[in-house]
Amino acid sequence: MAERVILTIGTKKGVFVADSAKPRRSFALRGPMGPGVPVYSTLIDTRGTPRLYASSCNPFFGNKVLRSTNMGKTFEETKSGPAFPKEDGRVVANIWSIEPGPGKKELWCGVEPASLFRSTDGGDSWELVPGISNHEHARKWQPGNGGLCMHTIIRDGNRVHLGISTGGHYLSEDGGNTFTASNQGVGAGFAPDPYPEFGQCVHKIARHDDAPGRLYMQNHGGWGNWTGPGGPRPDIGVLRSDDHGHTWRSIAKGLPSDFGFPIVVHPHDADTVYVMPLEPETRSCPGGAPAVWRSENGGDSWSRLSRGLPKKQSFFTVLRDAMDIDGLKEPALYFGTTTGQLWIGREGGEKWDCLFDSLPPIHNVKVAVV
Amino acid sequence: MGRTPDITLHVAGPLRTYCAGASQLPISAHTVRGALEDLERSQLALYRNVCDESGKVRKHLNVFVNSDNVRDLNGVDTALMPGDVVTILPAVSGG
Repeated sequence: MAERVILTIGTKKGVFVADSAKPRRSFALRGPMGPGVPVYSTLIDTRGTPRLYASSCNPFFGNKVLRSTNMGKTFEETKSGPAFPKEDGRVVANIWSIEPGPGKKELWCGVEPASLFRSTDGGDSWELVPGISNHEHARKWQPGNGGLCMHTIIRDGNRVHLGISTGGHYLSEDGGNTFTASNQGVGAGFAPDPYPEFGQCVHKIARHDDAPGRLYMQNHGGWGNWTGPGGPRPDIGVLRSDDHGHTWRSIAKGLPSDFGFPIVVHPHDADTVYVMPLEPETRSCPGGAPAVWRSENGGDSWSRLSRGLPKKQSFFTVLRDAMDIDGLKEPALYFGTTTGQLWIGREGGEKWDCLFDSLPPIHNVKVAVV
Repeated sequence: MGRTPDITLHVAGPLRTYCAGASQLPISAHTVRGALEDLERSQLALYRNVCDESGKVRKHLNVFVNSDNVRDLNGVDTALMPGDVVTILPAVSGG
């Protein structure tokens, strides 16, 4: 069967799936599935027979995991969703990330309040991962505007990187058994100490297989004018690590704002990274003119990509998981907006078109070639 | 306590998929708490939609005994009498 480009689009009112032939001229849309229920995370699991997953974060009836074995034509609830042990006292309020685990049918899931769960049966049963969920810092983390969420799970061999808002970056080097706060160089603007051990509002982390040890981070920036204790802390929003996340340094110079949510790495070039700078006050693009910014040298310099995007009076937000890039030879970027638009940036983001302009507010966009 | 009273649990439409489509379920309990415990034993999938993992009724659900919200009675300790109807409904919302 010919390969298709599959998009999963998690929205405030369910999950949509769009697909296209590889030229990506047009996408067919289906959905919403899990209708009326917010979806904050999706996964296109390409291991073996492809499966799609979506969190279904029902404010009335609790959090579920939806699974599709027919490329998103239908979704069904798995037998159970992640849940804390009764004696723990915490209650899962949201599911923020679903990622493949090391085992064949293994899934890892980050939730609110920030905790990690693991399933070895494709999402039918879940167990708490205590090394981070019961970490000595866990009860000290604070919720950000989106809640106390574990939104990023990156596996790199025996290393596991977790992004928590607001908890910071946590690193395991033993496959996820134990974790250490690893935030040297990651700033915070909402505490007197500009560089605390933990508690940073990390927004998203990304990496590339071809650059061992390198990570990119979109942190909660926008603190250049801070006048309180500890002084201003400019350029803490976009960061890079070259030592597996042990230390971080700013790569924000040249961007119009160091605030933003998503950060995405080019599939074939570890030096090419994309962000969407937002004004920290409005959480929309500077001047009401949306643009993705690209660095082709690992963050040393940046260029603005906006051809085809609105030139003015556009005030949407692109959330942390609402931008992705496909893996085709000439990849396309995709982002979804809080105003329900789904954009494609062809030629690596050089030329933008709106694929769908009236979806519900978009939380999450994932793409895969299947 | 004597013989447990026969109570009817009315199942709201969105929840029927978790109890084989039933719109009503017979429950034997002296209190709403007992009714929920009965539900946990007999209809676990349905129970998980009604109560969170700490055992509390989910925040945005309302439990009625006949036409009274248990919030205005004695909460989950509200007593049940033979013939009572317990109804669990999502709170009104929009947007």
